[in-house]
Amino acid sequence: MDDIKNPTSLINKDYETINLVTFEEWIEDNGELSRLGVGIILEPSDDVSLIKDSLDSIELIALDFRNFDDGRSYSQAYLLSKRWHFRGEIIGINAHLDQLQFMIRSGITRYQLLESYSGFNEEDYANGFSICYQAAANNHGLNLKY
Amino acid sequence: MYQYNAEDKQFLVERVDQFEKQLRRHLSGELDEAKFRSLRLRNGLYMELHAHMLRIAIPYGILSSAQLRALADVADKYDRGFGHFTTRQNIQFNWIQLPEIANLLRDLTAAGLHAIQTSGKATRNITADPLSGLTEGEIEDARPYCELIRRWFNLHPEFSWLPGKFKIAINGAKLDETALRIHDLGLRLVRNEKGELGFSVFVGGGLGAAAMVAAETASFVPVADILSYLESSLRIYNLKGRRDHQKKLRIKFLVRELGAAEFSRLVDEDWQQTKDDPELKLNLNELESLKKDFALPIEPISLDGFKETVDFNYSIWKKNNVRSHKVSGHSIVNISLTKLGAPPGDATSEQMRILAKLADQFSSGEIRTTKRQTIVFPFVRKDQIFNLWKSLEQYGLASPHQGTLAQIVSCPGRDYCDLAKAVSIPIATRVQERFNDMNKLLDIGDLNINISGCENSCAHHHIADIGLLGMQKNGEEYYQITLAGETLNETNIGKKLGPSVSGETIVDAVEDIVNVYIANRQQEEKFTDVFKRIGITPFKEKVYG
Ligand code: HEM
Ligand code: SF4
Repeated sequence: MDDIKNPTSLINKDYETINLVTFEEWIEDNGELSRLGVGIILEPSDDVSLIKDSLDSIELIALDFRNFDDGRSYSQAYLLSKRWHFRGEIIGINAHLDQLQFMIRSGITRYQLLESYSGFNEEDYANGFSICYQAAANNHGLNLKY
Repeated sequence: MYQYNAEDKQFLVERVDQFEKQLRRHLSGELDEAKFRSLRLRNGLYMELHAHMLRIAIPYGILSSAQLRALADVADKYDRGFGHFTTRQNIQFNWIQLPEIANLLRDLTAAGLHAIQTSGKATRNITADPLSGLTEGEIEDARPYCELIRRWFNLHPEFSWLPGKFKIAINGAKLDETALRIHDLGLRLVRNEKGELGFSVFVGGGLGAAAMVAAETASFVPVADILSYLESSLRIYNLKGRRDHQKKLRIKFLVRELGAAEFSRLVDEDWQQTKDDPELKLNLNELESLKKDFALPIEPISLDGFKETVDFNYSIWKKNNVRSHKVSGHSIVNISLTKLGAPPGDATSEQMRILAKLADQFSSGEIRTTKRQTIVFPFVRKDQIFNLWKSLEQYGLASPHQGTLAQIVSCPGRDYCDLAKAVSIPIATRVQERFNDMNKLLDIGDLNINISGCENSCAHHHIADIGLLGMQKNGEEYYQITLAGETLNETNIGKKLGPSVSGETIVDAVEDIVNVYIANRQQEEKFTDVFKRIGITPFKEKVYG
């Protein structure tokens, strides 16, 4: 998997470059880092509840989906967006085409695919269903049935 | 009978379309093996050595005759003319060709059937009591709740990539036919002091090498709050469950490591944040409309003048296979698929069509499946039972085994399964041959024997009166014996009898155990009660003495 990216910065929605720090770096020194206006990369194993009180000073959060079967990032996204109302972007990095529908509905606002695919309609994968059976962080304009 | 509407069927078609694209990408090398595996399992597809196994969901074990016919058609068109009813009330096809999967699934969507989440690390099909809604003294019919909870966790965005598989059982009756405390999560419908309806929640059960009984994490969750409570339980599991150790993925290991009290504290802490979210409340309007959809299709009738036919074989079959119904004038009829030498639970397409026809004729077109791999006709008029029996007899489906020791539950074992350590079906056959005297069987009464070919415990051997587990010793097949497992009134994992017994002598050991039971039984005493009273020693002495 040589396509895996370990970005040190990401562009935000205002086209500014935001430097990224790790979860450990943030926990160690968030006073200083928040003045710099950085974003955080969260690994699935990071305890997201430890940053909930400092969310206002985080520019953006990147969640790493490189491990296809590791579902923790979906709960992280839910907690950040729905429960703690994080206002910045939640970007899924190293994302997989076949999981976009789950990521977006869990609260991911933007994604970067791990592998590029030819001949597919991204929208199709992000939104392949006409209804959904549960409320989630983002219902993605689907017809709700529950 | 409840049926999917056009919207639900459209969803099933969309799911098949999606899976077909993934399959095509996989076949053309664009989707790697690991990812495809994860995706195909969530569509019920296993790759075995020679062919592919596809598991179709039978939601909470209920089928219409039309659905059973659709399954029969699949058996003929895509398999070798048969299917296998499983201990979790589903059906499996064992000889499926990869390129045909999408067509097969598309055929089933018309009948409202699918394979979504029948495997993989997600919430699986929900198990329910096959007698839901049929028996006296039920707390509440569980089926509408099963359906609402099934829907909620259907492609749930947050909980589709759990550490391990997640099996839920829901029981609304006093006796537990679902074995809910050996599930990852079990729900029991209960009423509180005020008479309000809710659920007791049990988490962390499971069989396998480390068999565990689920602990109660909440004694009363109001009906309206059950979805948020389940979400919180799954969220804690999703975030904290072991992902590092292949053999510790199930939630039972997390509950054991944290302790049930700490696990339930974490769930509760999370739940306090969501329980008042109106979006997460169970939709009570939908519940009411489902209750109407699930209403019984029969009315009480009085059969004053009716005289039951006298026939020896019929009366034996009736004693073992017919149960009383809460609606007067009706009965519940159990049909055993057991045939000597055939894997328990196997049904040919012909049998499926016959059962569908008989269900139309005698049971309002409804069929249920059970964890003992049998078929239930839920709505049979008392004055029609004899006619039903005659038809069953004609087609070889009137086995009187049900409710006797000969109704053995067994996994495919080494005859069909790559993971097996020993055979199981031939052992079942040998036990049936040993106990082939119907009078003897009737005298022994209801006694469960379950046989698994390895520690994965597909046949639930831990919860049988007599459980056999296949293993290897110096290249030979041995069986570990466990006794007095139970789930109906209370849940107990069977106790190990002693050293494992060789394949050659295992049937003798089973007979010894049955004999100790008969010799010590007082009146109608059940096996588990005798075991509790006399202890394990008499059994040990007889088998190893
Ligand atoms: C031959 C194909 C089969 C294979 C390869 C297979 C494999 C497995 C494996 C690996 C597990 C353990 C999973 C875990 O604990 O995480 C398992 C569990 C289980 N299987 Fe199968 N199985 C097969 C057939 C069946 C059949 C035919 C049935 C039904 C009769 C069945 C019913 C079950 C059940 C109920 C469990 C859960 C036991 C528990 O509560 O821990 N399986 N199977
Ligand atoms: S218990 Fe073992 S041998 Fe039997 S079907 Fe399951 S995995 Fe195969």
